[in-house]
Amino acid sequence: MRLRRITLQHFRNIAGAELAFASRRQFFAGANGQGKTSLLEAAGFITALRSFRTADPAVLIAHGQPEAALACELDHERLGPTRVVIRLRPGSREVSCDGERVPRIADYLGRFPTVVFTAQDLQLIRGAPALRRRWLDLTLAAIDAGYLAALQSYHRALDERNRLLKLGGPPAELAAFEHPLAAAAAVLGVKRGAALAELTHCLAAAYGRIAAAVEPAAVGLAPVAPAADADGWRRIYADGRTRDLRFRTTLAGPHRDDLEFTLGGRSARDFGSEGEQRSLMLALRLAQADFFQARSGVEPVLLADDVLGELDAGRRERFWAAVGSARQVLATGTRPPDTGPDDWERFRVAGGAFAMEASGA
Amino acid sequence: MASAYEQLQQQLKQLPGLGYRSAERLALHLLVEKPARLPALVQALEEAARTVRRCTRCGNLAEGDLCVICADARRDQAVVCVVEHVPDLAAFERSGAYRGGYHVLHGKLSPMHGVGPADLNLAALTARLADGTVRELILALSNDVEGEATCHFLTQQLPPGGTVKVSRIGFGLPSGGGVLYADSVTLRSALEARREYS
Ligand SMILES: [Zn+2]
Repeated sequence: MRLRRITLQHFRNIAGAELAFASRRQFFAGANGQGKTSLLEAAGFITALRSFRTADPAVLIAHGQPEAALACELDHERLGPTRVVIRLRPGSREVSCDGERVPRIADYLGRFPTVVFTAQDLQLIRGAPALRRRWLDLTLAAIDAGYLAALQSYHRALDERNRLLKLGGPPAELAAFEHPLAAAAAVLGVKRGAALAELTHCLAAAYGRIAAAVEPAAVGLAPVAPAADADGWRRIYADGRTRDLRFRTTLAGPHRDDLEFTLGGRSARDFGSEGEQRSLMLALRLAQADFFQARSGVEPVLLADDVLGELDAGRRERFWAAVGSARQVLATGTRPPDTGPDDWERFRVAGGAFAMEASGA
Repeated sequence: MASAYEQLQQQLKQLPGLGYRSAERLALHLLVEKPARLPALVQALEEAARTVRRCTRCGNLAEGDLCVICADARRDQAVVCVVEHVPDLAAFERSGAYRGGYHVLHGKLSPMHGVGPADLNLAALTARLADGTVRELILALSNDVEGEATCHFLTQQLPPGGTVKVSRIGFGLPSGGGVLYADSVTLRSALEARREYS
């Protein structure tokens, strides 16, 4: 898909902006805090009605305003020219497609894929397991309504079981909630396994192009899931009851999964150089884009938030070659791009306002 | 001290589904617009408070010991459809698709909401199952985590020997809403498509 026009109203510090895009390359330059990341945040919001910066949609509404609104006009492979409008009020969000209200988010997921590259992506390798789980959950939930439903059921059942554990819950009640917990765990396990196989395939290809390396990159669950189906998970939860009662929380399950990135079979966190880790994260985001495209049949829009400046010239060149010319890229930075495609449409961002600069300047 | 009008409005506001504005509208309607309705309403409330109770067998609303369904000899009490709330039972009755008995749990298990087995109408169900008159249980609880857990809990409470057949409906019903928001045709086909539950 291609983003042709984006309109924002009372979105963070952007009082009102309407930007039209003619090409597949847009660059937003400006100091920090001026609104360039907020623009990417708004563009990314259409994918799963989530911000890549915050879990609290209330902060997206400009201070003192009753609501924020964003509208995107897109050229879409399946839907043709499409206009998506999202209105955010405290505690509610409303989406419409071509003037028609979208009542269920499950019907909407997967239609408008975007992939965000951020400067914090290195934390996916170096940081806590929760960050990697969150990335995997968001990646799958953004395009698979069945995954989102299983994830919500799983956490609901987990909260109920953990509440019982804190109350010293009787075995019959624990067993009752382990039933839906195990069923959801099995769905998550199967879907995560299938997605990681696809993602590894895409990651190895993208890493090869960006790092010009021979050692194959891979991502997988580490350790591998201890159960393959609902019966297996039920046994694990039942066997863990005594321990879980002692710790007053559920210690095993997909909510404890971790991912490991490897290069040539060795842990990228422990053995990868800084340059290799940076290349790997760029490759991961490209793999995510390929994965979205394979699953949805829609070309994702890439949103690169302040990541291109940190790359050396060779990597930057290979990165653009790997992105290809078909995909649209919206990028931000403090300085305009010195290399890469020369058909950038450039915007200067200051105080929540956007001004287009003459091309080729 | 609040005025009589304010007290009425506050009482109304605490009813489910009513906010400040709708409570105000109701209070004004009863006191100003249609005051002639008030005595009949007060009488109906007092009468219902005096006579309506839970059926001792199934938990449905009743005016005697047994509700009209439990007292109806033409209904097959060996088949028991387990529902969460009285309106679920009413939805089955409206559909006309079902001629057995019911059991109303008045809720579902949810530790997070402080609902345990003791808070549900389970003792009466255990008693019905223990006397051997029940041949089949149809679990018509909501198709969510708490509904599923409650179904599983119930099957653990069955008398040993496997004399009671247990089935579950809910597949094809609107998710979240469950029985209550399904139309008659959907309820009828859900009943026919009920699956053995283990
Ligand atoms: Zn009854």
